[in-house]
Amino acid sequence: MYEIRFHGRGGQGAVMAAQALAEAAVLEGYYAQAFPYFGAERRGAPVRAFARIDESKISIKSQVYEPDALVILDESILEIDPISEGLKPDGKAIINTVKKPEEVDLGIEVECGTVDATTIALETIKAPIVNTSILGAFARVVDIVPLESILNAIMNRFGEKLGHQSGVMNAEAARIAYHNTVVGRCKGTRTIVRKKVWLPAWDEIPIGNTLSAREIDGIAVGPGSMAQNLTGTWRTQTPRYSKEKCIRCLRCWFSCPEGCIERQEDDYERWDYRYCKGCGICAEVCPADAIEMVRGVYEW
Amino acid sequence: MVTKEIKTIKDLPRDDYLTRGHGACPGCGVAIAVKNIARVLGKDTIVYVPASCLIVFSALYPASAFKWPFFYTAFENTGAVISGIKAALKRRGKEVTVVGMAGDGGTFDIGLQALSGAAERNEDVVYVCLDNEAYMNTGIQRSGATPFGAWTTTSPIGKKVQGKREFKKDIDAIVAAHNIPYMATLSIAHPNDFVRKVQKAKSESGFRFLHVLCPCVPGWRSEASKSVAIARLAVETGMWILYEVDHGVEKLTYKPKTLVPVREYLQLQGRFRHMSEEDVEKLQTWICERWKHQFYEEVPVPPCKIEEAKKALIIDEDPLHGP
Amino acid sequence: MVMKVISADHAVAHGARLARVEVVPAFPITPQTLIVELIAEFINDGELDADFLPVESEHSAMSAAIGACAGGARAFTATSSQGLALMHEMLYAAPQNRLPVVMVNVNRSLGAASGIWVEYNDSMPERESGWLQVYIEDNQEALDMVIQAYRIAEDRGVMLPMMVCLDGFVLSHTVERVDFPDQQLVDSFLPKFKPLYVLDPDEPVTMNPITPPEYAMEMRYQLHQAVDESKLVIEKVDREYGALTGRAYGGLIDTYQMEDAEIALIALGTVTSTARVVVDHLRSKGKKVGLVKLRFLRPFPSDELRSIAKNLKALGVFDRSVSFNGFGPVFTETRNALYHLGIPLTNHVAGIGGRDVTFEEVREMFSVIEENAKGHRVKECHWHGLRGGS
Repeated sequence: MYEIRFHGRGGQGAVMAAQALAEAAVLEGYYAQAFPYFGAERRGAPVRAFARIDESKISIKSQVYEPDALVILDESILEIDPISEGLKPDGKAIINTVKKPEEVDLGIEVECGTVDATTIALETIKAPIVNTSILGAFARVVDIVPLESILNAIMNRFGEKLGHQSGVMNAEAARIAYHNTVVGRCKGTRTIVRKKVWLPAWDEIPIGNTLSAREIDGIAVGPGSMAQNLTGTWRTQTPRYSKEKCIRCLRCWFSCPEGCIERQEDDYERWDYRYCKGCGICAEVCPADAIEMVRGVYEW
Repeated sequence: MVTKEIKTIKDLPRDDYLTRGHGACPGCGVAIAVKNIARVLGKDTIVYVPASCLIVFSALYPASAFKWPFFYTAFENTGAVISGIKAALKRRGKEVTVVGMAGDGGTFDIGLQALSGAAERNEDVVYVCLDNEAYMNTGIQRSGATPFGAWTTTSPIGKKVQGKREFKKDIDAIVAAHNIPYMATLSIAHPNDFVRKVQKAKSESGFRFLHVLCPCVPGWRSEASKSVAIARLAVETGMWILYEVDHGVEKLTYKPKTLVPVREYLQLQGRFRHMSEEDVEKLQTWICERWKHQFYEEVPVPPCKIEEAKKALIIDEDPLHGP
Repeated sequence: MVMKVISADHAVAHGARLARVEVVPAFPITPQTLIVELIAEFINDGELDADFLPVESEHSAMSAAIGACAGGARAFTATSSQGLALMHEMLYAAPQNRLPVVMVNVNRSLGAASGIWVEYNDSMPERESGWLQVYIEDNQEALDMVIQAYRIAEDRGVMLPMMVCLDGFVLSHTVERVDFPDQQLVDSFLPKFKPLYVLDPDEPVTMNPITPPEYAMEMRYQLHQAVDESKLVIEKVDREYGALTGRAYGGLIDTYQMEDAEIALIALGTVTSTARVVVDHLRSKGKKVGLVKLRFLRPFPSDELRSIAKNLKALGVFDRSVSFNGFGPVFTETRNALYHLGIPLTNHVAGIGGRDVTFEEVREMFSVIEENAKGHRVKECHWHGLRGGS
């Protein structure tokens, strides 16, 4: 059995990628399954999906803990999630990045394919949805489902859901990615740090499903504790603020969904970039052009 | 307790009761609305949130984005649970605002009965409807609040039928018919009007209803950066009417110079992209009829030239409305 | 000591008054209406300092009761049958949040082919909800158990909601003599409600956020333990109440003529009363028969039943509801508890849809149990009073 774990962000199409891969495997005569991990997070938050491929009927229904391959749709998740955890020593990794394999540190040295799937997606399907490009890269790195089947599966799934033309464009994205993928070995120097989680035994949980604001095992819980989620890792573009141009209308402060714009005593603004998701509303509502959105992740 | 009355955005306190780090999608209209309502209501508030996007992005054990006392139980019972909480707090002699924050499904549809019950009993609570015009939490299904023509996963673009065939339910008229002390519609694109209405609701007693239009990036198929711009266009096109009913007195709180053609609003959102000329015309007519019928105002309505409409946007009286 | 001749519904209302309930959200349904009408009268006459919330449905009644309890008030409501079914969703919110709401359910048949008459198919399916459930035999017990219910539910070691179930019409509209404990006595027995957590801006809490799989399972187990551990509190509270008022009910279980009994019937609700008379009659004929009055369905007294039943030659179980193609819920629970004892068991379904359960029918139950004890072949499940035979 060959097991694959997908890591992406809500909205990037990790689930669709897993499903298309399973379909491609079925077209090749294999048995396959694909399923998401249903978290409660919204668009932009890290998500996982899983796929299994085997020569006989697959009956296991639990999640994949020791994958043969990792498919990483968003490189930035490497910084916030121990995503290579459980990857087999002879496993493989496919990563959406502009870097070469040897420049990527997964915390485990394995065979690795890198591709700038974001650019391919933007140029081909005109949206930063990288799920189909990354499958092309998968076909290049993992020798289990040939490109042709992947393209057919993409045509089937995307063509059916979004129309024939969309299927053609998505298949094209996968084809380009297949050819642009650089295969090598990644670095394994990073130590995999598990995110701190509070997993109490049944008699340690405060009874009543109720929590007051405090720390338990170094984790903030209860009222206001979501402040420990640094949602700034979600952004792909960053607002740059010009105090000189600011007319102190407070519109950006009012309009920021994150509340990460801080209204100063003098009504000028300051950004808490640890939380900025890069939505761009502040720049859009500013009547004085004092805020511009810059592609990339910065902290000014 | 002395609190300064909040008349404009400048008076709005800096304290946040919806913290950073919540899990809403980038550009979420609900987050903008809730954060600012919380700034006006201030510390002495208890919030009840029924099943909705808001519960999912603001309260996931063991964490919460609300600094307020928070409670959740089910989908359809906001009106009832906040009635019970308020009764208990009154008995304990606590001066507290009890606010329920429900989505459009939890208000227009499954929660309508409990809402009507609480309004009829004139419970001393604030009920906020965060209206993003579909069941977004479950993956964009149509609700009674979904506008005519809109795509949702249960009003799909089929070969035979395209989008929702019914017009948006007039929940405000239904709520106002309960003769409650105060009800108002709010827009995140009109901050001064927004904070003044929340302040008014806070200072009243009895049942208060605030209805906020909350653009939804995935559900409306729009760009994250455009959420406020879309909310503003909703008002300028007459898709969303800013008014209040204060002790039975109905008043338009923002009057566009002339209504912008609805097409301007529709074209920013993928959920309307498929709409036929005929359907756009139907929606436009609905807007004009509703506008005239509800307010008997002599505001010019489309069809009018796009250029004139754009001018109307620019000569806005409210200095906070950028073009 | 005040004494009145009143219905069980009115006894319940007086129990709520004596327990000084603070918030009463309610919606009318036959045969529960007498309860909420009298409470509304108490409040409007100034005899009870409470808020009556005349909500628009039972779903809202339970929602508001839960909200009031979360806000720190002693909450009471009452319902029946379809009303309880409408509350079903909300019932599950109270136990996990440890909100000790007390509710009286006047048992009435649920569903199609329904009427307004007693059957336990409304409350018994709710035994999975985490609510404690007691079944009442007479009007005095109805009043006493509302008071006891708050003491049990609000005990720091319990903190669970409790349902007091009483037979529609056979109790709810039947008048009997009921003695009233003094208010002072009740106040000494039942202290002011101290919630575990309370919604209060001065000490904010997050109550019942969405709970992912990493936590929900442990929380369920916690609840599982809490229901089990409530047994000790139930026994203790009953003894204490008995010492104060002279009326104790045996806690989880009561027995009649069981010391030397060779065969016995487990009954609950008003049929227990009729069964007592049948036991007396059979004893007068020299038969060693006994009666077990099951009071609580949750927590289910498995250990207690085992020790009572261990020397019996046969045991029958009365049920006033059925699981179609299965047995009555009380029988299923009992067989589970007694499985390893190997005692011959029979299920006796009667009184379905509110059909009257007669002396003759209960005697028939004992005849079957006696046959079973002798080792004769009998059917496991009998429907008594069924035309055409079962």
